[in-house]
Amino acid sequence: MTPTRKHALMIDASRCIGCHSCAVACKMEHELPAGPRTVKVIQIGPLEADGPPMMRYETVTCFHCDRPACVSACPTGAMQKRPDGLVFSEPSLCIGCQTCAVACPFGIPELNPATGKIAKCDGCRERVDRGLWPACALKCPTGCLSYGAPLRVVQDLRMREAVTIARSIAVR
Amino acid sequence: MVDYQPLNRIAGTRKGFDRQVYSVCQECTVGCGLAAFLQDDIIVDVQGVEQHPVSRGRLCARGVAFTQGLRHPRRITLPAARNTLSQSFEAAMNWEKALDLFAERLRRIRDRESVDALVIGCDPEAGLDFWLGARRFARLWGTPHVYHPWDSPDAKQSLPLKSPTAPCTRWADSACLLLVEADLAATHPVAFGWVLEAQNKGAKLIVVDNRFTATMSKADLALTIRPGSGNRFGLWLMKAILEENRQHAQAVADNFEPAPDWQAAYDALDWEGLEPSTGLSQGGLLNVSRFLAGMPSAFVITGKRLEHLPSHGIWLTLCTAMGWAVRPNSGWYPLESGLPRFNCDSDIELPAAESIPPPAGPFPYQPPDRQERDLAFKALIASGNCLADFFLPLRPQLKRAELVGFFGSFPNFTCDQSHALFPAAAWAERDGLCFSNDRALQWANRIVAPADACRSGLDFWSGLAQRFGWQEFFPWIKKNDRADQAGFYDWLLKRSPDTQGCELAQIRAADHLQSWPADPEKLVRRQPPMFASDSGRLQPALPPAEFGAQERPEAEDLFPLAYHSTRVVSRATDAGRWWPWAAELEDENAVQIHPDIAQILGIENGDEVVVAGPRGCIDGRAWLSRMVGRRVIWSPQRLDESRVLVHKKGQSGEDALNRLKADLA
Repeated sequence: MTPTRKHALMIDASRCIGCHSCAVACKMEHELPAGPRTVKVIQIGPLEADGPPMMRYETVTCFHCDRPACVSACPTGAMQKRPDGLVFSEPSLCIGCQTCAVACPFGIPELNPATGKIAKCDGCRERVDRGLWPACALKCPTGCLSYGAPLRVVQDLRMREAVTIARSIAVR
Repeated sequence: MVDYQPLNRIAGTRKGFDRQVYSVCQECTVGCGLAAFLQDDIIVDVQGVEQHPVSRGRLCARGVAFTQGLRHPRRITLPAARNTLSQSFEAAMNWEKALDLFAERLRRIRDRESVDALVIGCDPEAGLDFWLGARRFARLWGTPHVYHPWDSPDAKQSLPLKSPTAPCTRWADSACLLLVEADLAATHPVAFGWVLEAQNKGAKLIVVDNRFTATMSKADLALTIRPGSGNRFGLWLMKAILEENRQHAQAVADNFEPAPDWQAAYDALDWEGLEPSTGLSQGGLLNVSRFLAGMPSAFVITGKRLEHLPSHGIWLTLCTAMGWAVRPNSGWYPLESGLPRFNCDSDIELPAAESIPPPAGPFPYQPPDRQERDLAFKALIASGNCLADFFLPLRPQLKRAELVGFFGSFPNFTCDQSHALFPAAAWAERDGLCFSNDRALQWANRIVAPADACRSGLDFWSGLAQRFGWQEFFPWIKKNDRADQAGFYDWLLKRSPDTQGCELAQIRAADHLQSWPADPEKLVRRQPPMFASDSGRLQPALPPAEFGAQERPEAEDLFPLAYHSTRVVSRATDAGRWWPWAAELEDENAVQIHPDIAQILGIENGDEVVVAGPRGCIDGRAWLSRMVGRRVIWSPQRLDESRVLVHKKGQSGEDALNRLKADLA
């Protein structure tokens, strides 16, 4: 039975070091070839604007939209949204037409050249159905990616910020 | 106080498996615990070990992608040989025949040439047992020329501490971390997690490097220095501290040899020399020294490359003068300092002293102003792709070599130059002891059987030694011609003064790891006298003569840009080039050029460019970025040059030089 309880993947970009562990973990988990990048790490900068140079990394993966354009556009019904919110492409129905890739405003779906079908983040649905964390979050060496129930994830983010502020003003 | 409890990690695999093997990742020296899941002896999944004290379940891109190399179709899995480089290899020969042929040709060279005609290059990819076996074989042969990037040129001076430096897991409890030419985010991502944890606890992170790195992007204070000037930065920092009297007076009195004049050597330095030698301003340096002086504890973490440059001892002097060497959660942490002193060949009696020439000095990382050396070798045994890495300076001399043996896994430049191929077992295909950065001893179990005829480094050296009649010095060979790895490492542990008392059986039985030295009290007993000198005190490092004088590199007129190369996050060794997932992450041919310089030269992002120096050149693809300074070029490709000129393909070097000169004027 498909679970209905929603989970959230938290991306704390301030902790991303551009190590690509998440990208490679995803490739291994889903046995993808070189080419499609279901998780991307994008380097921004260094930028110099009235101060020292700044550089950061952004981890980008499927947002699993509430109203996903890719699902509406898919002509075969391969692209689906589960009750728990995960958007995935069913390989047995996908014909590789890439209509979803055109429809997605974030350029997430990509063609898997090995299978001729769409490759995109499916939220590690088979792992989460077993109660496991998604592969990208589990391998992340810095805690940039973490996973849990939406309320708990938001609470975690608040706690992190509170601890950072509290420790920055505390005398060590 | 607000306390933070992270989300519960729920680890495991969804894939079907019939066997699970716990082992240790050996892609770098962090020593992350991993669990491999196998179905029909094929790895179907790799996960980190959640209970592992160093990695805590995390793995980096390399620690996940390594499985792609094991069953790669281009992998070398059978020995092969050829008489000349113009011939193709005669493949599908067995190890015995390949070793017989190679040993016969080696013997002919030995009979005819001096003992130093043999040079051995040990790449970390070949394994620790290859390096240690090479040292034994070389001692039996009589050649001093065995090189490995982890081999410290000043092992005795760099860490003359009675007790080893604190492990990297202690970084998390320090108030300040100073990283000098150590891009941990790229080279040791899992260990960098400890740095970020310290920062989350309020620690300040100061990063000093040759370009704006991923590590630097997380820094509270970042300084970009000239390539190769890390140790010089340390000397100027010492001057800044002494000038404002910010050193720890009691620590200086307790720990330094009584030499009242040593501070005067720093006083005599003229600040005029700071910018030409490091690229820093006096104000910027004073900022760092004042910042550091206010810290109750600090770790200074220095990159491996600094060990091969002059004045490396300044870091111990600095940490001692500031009192950090004796405080908890403080000290100097030179990267790769988790390796104990190996005593793997002293049981072999040396040939007559006069017949042994001295080693050629620091090889893996050449200082930019090095003198040309001529090793005059006739035989080379190389592993990995060392001729495209730390043995680059040997390439001009290759034509004199009569015999090159290659111990490796994939076709590369070194393989192309060889007469004999010996297929190497990957780390996942052999048992072995791991010495991690954290001074941890861990037993790494073999995950899968070696592909076809691949063998370990110790197998190679044992087989070769047998053919020279030196089998008594390699007693670990078993009836099936394979070496007993456990027997070898058990013997090794007992011979090192650092690891005496560490029992292999206990390490193998331990859940995760044990630290050396066996006596853990030594780690906390950090009281004076703490140095391994006769007096128990430290001789402070002094600035060398002529230090700070304005220097201008000879080649600057024709090659106005500095060249710098470092490793990238997705590849630690040459084998990583063959993992499709890793290969697509970063372009190994990328050439970083500052946008201002690119504009002057008419180069745009993605253009094919040539980077040329006095001795050689490389091709690459332009990556315009402010990660490099205005007059610095960076690429992951190694080039045996410190000064270069860059130009677009099709553009003449003269035109590029004229444009740059006009800009300078």
